Amino acid sequence: MPSFKLDDREIPFEKGDTIIRAAQRAGIDIPHYCWHPGLSVAANCRMCLVEVLPPPGRPALQLNVLNYDAQSGQYISQTKPKLQPACQQAVAEGMEVKSDSSEHVRRARSSVQELLLLNHPVDCPICDQAGECRLQDYWLEHQHDAKKMTDEPVHKPKAVVFGPTIVYDAERCIVCTRCVRFCEEVAKDPVLSVRERGNLNEIVLAPGRQLDHGYTLMTEYVCPVGALTAVDFRFKARVWFLRSARTVCQGCATGCNAYLDYDPRVDRVHRHRPRENAQVNGYWMCDEGMLDYQRVHANRVLTASVGGQASVLTSALDSAALLLKDCPPQKLAIVLSAQHSNEDNFALLKLGRDDLKVSQLFFGGKAPGTADDVLRNADKNPNTAGVKKLAPTARPLAELKTLVETGAITHALVLGADAPTPDLVQMLGKLKGLVVLAVEKGPLASVASVLLPASSWAESEGTFVNARGLSQQSDSAIKPQGDSRPAWKLIAALAVRMGLAVDWRKLDQLEQSMRKAVGAGAGQTTGASAGGASAGGAQ
Amino acid sequence: MEPLDLEHQESEIELAGEPMLLNVGPAHPAMHGTVRCVMELSGETIERVDVQVGYLHRGFEKMCERGTWTQVFPYVDRCNYISPMLNNVGFALACEKMLGIEVPARCAYYRIALGELARISDHLTCDGAMAMELGAFTPFLWMIKAREMIWDVMEEETGARLTHSFGRIGGMAKPPTAGFKETVRATVDQVLSVVDEVEQLLLGNRIFLDRLQNIGIISAEDAISLGWTGPCLRACGVPYDVRKSHPYGRYDEFDFEVPVGTTGDCFDRFMVRIAEIRQSASIIRQALEKLSDSGSVNVDDPRVVLPEKNEVYTTIEGTIRHFKIVMEGLKIPAGEVYSYTEGGNGELGFYLVSDGSGTPYRVRIRPPCFLVTAGLGKIITGAMMSDVVPCFGSLNMIGGECDR
Repeated sequence: MPSFKLDDREIPFEKGDTIIRAAQRAGIDIPHYCWHPGLSVAANCRMCLVEVLPPPGRPALQLNVLNYDAQSGQYISQTKPKLQPACQQAVAEGMEVKSDSSEHVRRARSSVQELLLLNHPVDCPICDQAGECRLQDYWLEHQHDAKKMTDEPVHKPKAVVFGPTIVYDAERCIVCTRCVRFCEEVAKDPVLSVRERGNLNEIVLAPGRQLDHGYTLMTEYVCPVGALTAVDFRFKARVWFLRSARTVCQGCATGCNAYLDYDPRVDRVHRHRPRENAQVNGYWMCDEGMLDYQRVHANRVLTASVGGQASVLTSALDSAALLLKDCPPQKLAIVLSAQHSNEDNFALLKLGRDDLKVSQLFFGGKAPGTADDVLRNADKNPNTAGVKKLAPTARPLAELKTLVETGAITHALVLGADAPTPDLVQMLGKLKGLVVLAVEKGPLASVASVLLPASSWAESEGTFVNARGLSQQSDSAIKPQGDSRPAWKLIAALAVRMGLAVDWRKLDQLEQSMRKAVGAGAGQTTGASAGGASAGGAQ
Repeated sequence: MEPLDLEHQESEIELAGEPMLLNVGPAHPAMHGTVRCVMELSGETIERVDVQVGYLHRGFEKMCERGTWTQVFPYVDRCNYISPMLNNVGFALACEKMLGIEVPARCAYYRIALGELARISDHLTCDGAMAMELGAFTPFLWMIKAREMIWDVMEEETGARLTHSFGRIGGMAKPPTAGFKETVRATVDQVLSVVDEVEQLLLGNRIFLDRLQNIGIISAEDAISLGWTGPCLRACGVPYDVRKSHPYGRYDEFDFEVPVGTTGDCFDRFMVRIAEIRQSASIIRQALEKLSDSGSVNVDDPRVVLPEKNEVYTTIEGTIRHFKIVMEGLKIPAGEVYSYTEGGNGELGFYLVSDGSGTPYRVRIRPPCFLVTAGLGKIITGAMMSDVVPCFGSLNMIGGECDR
């Protein structure tokens, strides 16, 4: 592999690499605002300037500068090397680059940072970006001196509504154009552009348009400062109180890797943001997926109920066990859910197919939605592939209708509260026994004989298989809400109450037997962590 | 009827050989409320003793790993709470050693002046309490009166009488007040006259001398092998004082003596502290001479020291600087350091480990009186029960520091 020298360190590079990309791969961070690994190069922030030494025997490219000499009080004419933006400069074999070790580079960074803060408002206390803001980080690392300018800073529009999801603050903006390039290059909807020049320039919407495509929250995500803020997250939490869990998005079958940011003090989820994974989602996520976390706190089933009456969880489990015990296995239907993890589905399969010898297997899930050619999949369930792999014989839930009508099925044990049609819901409501384990108040929850509260994906770890067959693990963030328990735990409790021998009281026992049953793919993490660790740094 | 064993002499019949076990403390005023001694007595002589510490353990070192480096100051305040300023300065110096910064001269002299005042307060408390525990209540009241004068100065300077939290990494919380020099000079004079009076009261008192002289003797070798430092070690004749042996924070510019004892008994420990009060007074006077009336008490390093409030409110640079130091904590480069200063009871060491973040990875305190207390069993074994009180008093065990 060819290599070049950065601050006297040999750095290998691949053909076509820029200095910043090769350095980042080697774990060296060259400060930057406008460069993003997923976007085109703009080289407009000038923060990543480095000194490229001339080839041996060639003179360096020099600039004439006037430097103030404090001793004599005079300006002295001097020369300094012409610095190059590391994000744009391609690497060549044997090239020598000075970054942190060059006095000129250090001065340039300090000056660039000073210019960027020249008209910046004193907003940190009320800015959502505070705590994860590049301006703050780089001030400490590269500038750390006080304001010299005594003039009134330039004032520009604040809290400009760009669309239903994004609010813009022109005073905080450093016009790095990351958002402009994202809309044009990734979302393919060039709705943002730059107006004016110098310290008057700002980001504007195309005339007559709003920022309303499917990836608007990504503009906030790529913004290195607090100029673009998300309506959903605005003034909700301070980021230094949040912790992150490594999750998999539940919005569709793509299975984007994500971080779920939550406040551990009050067990509340606040934000869902992309986690870099080249195999799945690159650097991005869609609005639908980023806002999908809201389901964790809205419209939840948090208490058990028997016949529509709220009940203690233990007595609801007793009633469910009684109902299911009475039913002969050929009259019982087991309904899996593509909304739930492999673990939950496998536990249900173990109880239904292996222990109770039920042969009528079905699977439910959310109805299909919109798709695009960036990330979104029409299948709005995160684990359809996983369910199909665990139970290849399972049929869609709609096919249960005829069996119920003929009276072949009298009882059903259902994971998830989703149902495709209202008449199926009505039909299932007439069953002798309908036990539903639900996270949300879906249609089936209201007609269930026994409703058991299941934990959402944010409260329990699980494995999900995306549309391309990639099995990925999603970690838990918060503690189970209300009376809810992970669905596999409820199923284990149910099995114990039905007098069955259960040897999977813990998650790892369950995963072990799942691996034994369906092979490595079902309970193993693959690809989920590839490149994920550097997601924060890639911003 | 059984025949009497006429061969057995009555004088040869042994009495029951059970030793008497006596428990003193932890809830006993002479044990300062935090140490327990289980003694095996033969008559009034102590045959064996088990000294138990740890009743005041609060897990300070672990708590230090939660907040920022600056938030450690309130914890070290509560170690040796009789001389908290010395702990503050000791911790600040350890952090500054890791950061590779040196405070301005004004700050260094200010720290020395306040630190020596704290040392006087420490020694006044120890010697006063020793006298009181032997029944001399008047010297105790007088010395505490003198200590109050010092605490008045501390209150004026720091806002708090006991737990000042006044040290800062890279400086002090505030510069000296306008009347600092004048007040301290007057206070030191008054304190010294109290010390003179106390000497007159005690040193001619036969009972006081008999209960201290040749009691609780420890040899220099034993004291060193136990890790003793400070006045207790110097009482054995070893002139080890960190301020002289390994000068820190400009102590090398000062002219002072290291008083030592000869026999290493309780009386020597008492007298060494009295002599050190006079030495500290001299250091304070020298420091006040050197202390300039203007200039900053903080280093000029924006990564370490908080900005002025008006800058925070009006400029973004000031806001960011304040935000970074308060919310994330000032960053200390990854590495480890052992930094040691002369505390009230001896070598007060801080072993710090940083992982480069704003939060300490490990803060280990070497508390001088923990090691000194470890020698208590040695010096009271074989002594009389009544000697426990002066022996323990002369070691100046401070629960907060010993147990942390």
